[in-house]
Amino acid sequence: MHKLMTVMEAAKQGFVFFEGGCGSILQAAGLAPGELPETWNRLHPEIIQKMHFDYMAGGVNILKTNTFGANSMKFGEEGEDSLENLIHLAIDNARHAIKTIESGKDLAGNDLSAEILTKADTNHYVALDVGPLGKLLKPLGDLAFDDAVEIFKKTIQIGAAYGVDLILIETMNDLYEAKAAILAAKETCDLPIFLTTAYDESAKLLTGASPMTVVATAEGLGVSAVGVNCSLGPDQMVPIVEELYRYASIPVIVNPNAGLPRTENGRTIYDVTPELFTKSMQVLAEKGGRILGGCCGTTPAHIGAMIAGMDSLTPQAVTEKNDTIITSYTHGVVFGKRPILIGERINPTGKKKFKEALRNHDIDYILQEGLTQQEKKADVLDVNVGLPEIDEPSMMEEVIYELQAVTDLPLQIDTTNVEAMERALRHYNGKPMVNSVNGKQEEMDKVFPLVKKYGGLLVALTIDEAGIPETAEGRIAVAEKIYKEAAKYGIKAKDIIIDPLAMSISADPRSALVTLDALKGIKDRLGGLTSLGVSNISFGLPSRELVTSSFFMMALQNGLNAAIMNPSSAEMKKIYYTFMALAAIDENCTEYIEYATTLPAVAVVAAPAAGEVKTGTDTTAPGEQDPLVTAVVKGLKERSAALTEEYVKTKTAMDIIDGMLIPALDIVGKGFEEKKMFLPQLLMSAEAASAAFDVIKASMAARGAEQEKKGKIVIATVKGDIHDIGKNIVKVLLENYGFDVIDLGKDVPPELIVETVKKEDVHFVGLSALMTTTVPAMEETIKQLKEAGLDAKVCVGGAVLTQEYADMIHATWYAKDAMETVRIAEEFFAS
Amino acid sequence: MDHPILTYTKDAKELVIDSKEVLRYLGYGREKITEEDKAMVEKLLPEAVSVMHPRACYGRYELSFDEGNVIQLPYGTITSRDLTRNLMGCQELFLFAATIGPAFDTLIKKKRLTSVAEACVLQSVGAAAVEDFVENLCAFLSQEVQKEGYTTRPRYSPGFGDVPLNNQVGLFKTLQPAKYAGITLMDTLIMAPEKSVTAYVGIMKEK
Repeated sequence: MHKLMTVMEAAKQGFVFFEGGCGSILQAAGLAPGELPETWNRLHPEIIQKMHFDYMAGGVNILKTNTFGANSMKFGEEGEDSLENLIHLAIDNARHAIKTIESGKDLAGNDLSAEILTKADTNHYVALDVGPLGKLLKPLGDLAFDDAVEIFKKTIQIGAAYGVDLILIETMNDLYEAKAAILAAKETCDLPIFLTTAYDESAKLLTGASPMTVVATAEGLGVSAVGVNCSLGPDQMVPIVEELYRYASIPVIVNPNAGLPRTENGRTIYDVTPELFTKSMQVLAEKGGRILGGCCGTTPAHIGAMIAGMDSLTPQAVTEKNDTIITSYTHGVVFGKRPILIGERINPTGKKKFKEALRNHDIDYILQEGLTQQEKKADVLDVNVGLPEIDEPSMMEEVIYELQAVTDLPLQIDTTNVEAMERALRHYNGKPMVNSVNGKQEEMDKVFPLVKKYGGLLVALTIDEAGIPETAEGRIAVAEKIYKEAAKYGIKAKDIIIDPLAMSISADPRSALVTLDALKGIKDRLGGLTSLGVSNISFGLPSRELVTSSFFMMALQNGLNAAIMNPSSAEMKKIYYTFMALAAIDENCTEYIEYATTLPAVAVVAAPAAGEVKTGTDTTAPGEQDPLVTAVVKGLKERSAALTEEYVKTKTAMDIIDGMLIPALDIVGKGFEEKKMFLPQLLMSAEAASAAFDVIKASMAARGAEQEKKGKIVIATVKGDIHDIGKNIVKVLLENYGFDVIDLGKDVPPELIVETVKKEDVHFVGLSALMTTTVPAMEETIKQLKEAGLDAKVCVGGAVLTQEYADMIHATWYAKDAMETVRIAEEFFAS
Repeated sequence: MDHPILTYTKDAKELVIDSKEVLRYLGYGREKITEEDKAMVEKLLPEAVSVMHPRACYGRYELSFDEGNVIQLPYGTITSRDLTRNLMGCQELFLFAATIGPAFDTLIKKKRLTSVAEACVLQSVGAAAVEDFVENLCAFLSQEVQKEGYTTRPRYSPGFGDVPLNNQVGLFKTLQPAKYAGITLMDTLIMAPEKSVTAYVGIMKEK
């Protein structure tokens, strides 16, 4: 008789076996296309029970309930096919099969053969099977993360309350959805959570995550076992299982398909036979698979043969892996190998424009700061949006979310506001870096539970109740205290990175030396990792970059692992690349050489002479055209900016705008209206003009002057519509023509538009809709504007709109394209 | 006969994205396209192609017709003159859903911040890419049935002609493209990823 133990105890002792395919078995048994398999828990319990029984007869330990698609989007609360009833029946079917086989009988009541009795003499567990919701989460799709968590919770609550042994979250092809399901399980019950995800041929999830990313994120969230299932056959899973085992400190699950299906004479054929499956699974066990089973196309024959085939094997040990990893939603960044550059520019401290962007809710500006730093090769982006007058938690959550929609760099959540920290941690897609905690008991009590719950690499500052220790010894002691306290929560030392604080040498001449000593001590004596905000060192000194970059080199030499810095700083980049080459991190100096070719001394900086630029279209007048006009018409961004730099020295802003930029835009606009030029050209010109405007604005700001605006316009893509490219085109053009545009973004509720129009005293509103289904939202917006008694004219546009539609929904104007919107606005504000 | 849902993929590098076609989507007349215009598109292709992951799923189902342009599809009946005309004479049909993947949507979102012009051109690049992928898929499906002496009809998508877009609901229920190809249906009946196509492809006896 076997010893009773929990599933985690069993996994500690040796192999544990999962069932194989379910859906493919039901299809073969007659499940019709589009029929919901979960209804078979009620309609055909005997088939479900037999499937479970047959798997156990081959030696399976963990049964997967037939609840893959059981969620509240598919099943209601009432009736025999309610979510609750179907989950209960699914668990009943599994329990019934277990009870039957454990009583030594088959489902017909006959005694079992000795062979089956032996194989079934093992521990049996019921896993609540939780599959994906069939919806992409925002921002890629339309399901909000919080809603996904709630939907998963309903399913898991029912299953956990009815008594399952573990939660299996499976076939996830999106890391974000997997996180939603894991959180739902954690917040519902204390059962072990197993996660398996579906990778494609390139060993990535559909939304891009690598196995390392999944492991780091899942372990951070506290899952008990992690692995791979579905979409691939066992042989294709080899590199995936290798990577999972390489990074996982928890057991690895392997549930492959029986190869890829094909059809022959109307029957589905899977190419991998039980014998081939067994051979491949033996290889996967050697690669680190410990919890083994199958997915689509595998049958009790496959799994039974596989289990017999493991008799002679011992699983690879589950070992603690000491890698310090943070991840984005696609890839991981490993600390301790090469210095990690953390871009510091998303931070309002000392930045007037950034503060303004935060106050005006100009998210695009913040995102652009992020993209620029990515371009400049930052590894990680620090995100700090703290400003006393704004709602930091909401802003933090939004910026993290929007940044992850455009950049695949991991982020560092930088805040002292605990609510902001929690909301960012909760909604982050991957395993983030968290900046920061310090050695004060009160701080540790607040921050550690969050990091324990959500996972993350925590930056710990060497400050405590007594302040910042003046000696390296003192800072090392605080670091030790923090490690110790974190361990009480089960936060591992590898998930803490110490910041021994760089303080200005202008205040204390020995401060750099203390920091450097602390760096060395933390590395050598504690085996810890370190991070520094290096620029602080030069505060109060002239030509700060020189001091900062020299200190950066010294810090690297003393073992610094990560620096919060400005990736656009030429001095810092010089230090970074030379250090990497000199310290033999950049082998063969490959990166250094690549970097060196980008230096100004080597780069080619020849711009075409004014006369050389020809237009290639017949819309420009020959000969006399000003080079700036030509540059804008041709859409040459850099050249337009460079020429404007020259012009602002001798000409007034009005001369440049009215005499060159507007005429240039008119040439292109006319060409567009006459169908001699096309949308991309119109936009490239607009962007060239924007570049010129930026130069003018900067020069006016330097002289304290303000550019006069022609009129204020609110634009938005209406509620329910997430297509904003058309609206953005209109925005770019309107701004070029000197209008003050308040862009409310996409999917904007009517109430917000009304409120903004009222608050900002706006009389011209531009609304965009791409889909017929969202035109009613446009109509509603117009209605609400009227009902609020606002004197605002509305111009509508977008793919599905026509003059007829526009009239029907009582819009003031219909604009067929962006140029026409400009014409309408010009006419309106002129009168 | 069971009704497996099968998948089809193609290396993005093998897709034929014709810059002239891209420009045509953007409204350029064929005769007016210059080398410079083509270069503007081609400059964007390497990055665009690097984030495309063409993937499709399809299933083969029985089909029958009733009086008054009524068609029995695997997920229910629909009344459509246009689809009846397209499928007339077919005993079976394929349903498919195809996409170039979500990373392409992310690229466009990112470009929107750095250059609206490029984002706009990329929209058309994506359309041309998914179109070529679907052409490949249809050629493949045609080959599949040719062995059995069948031929396929030109594809027809929900939302075309008098086939309401809400057929997407049934099609998604039958084909489960979320699971097999990573394509989902939003509440607005628009698909995510954005560059995705679903369609009916009739199968008829070769004459």
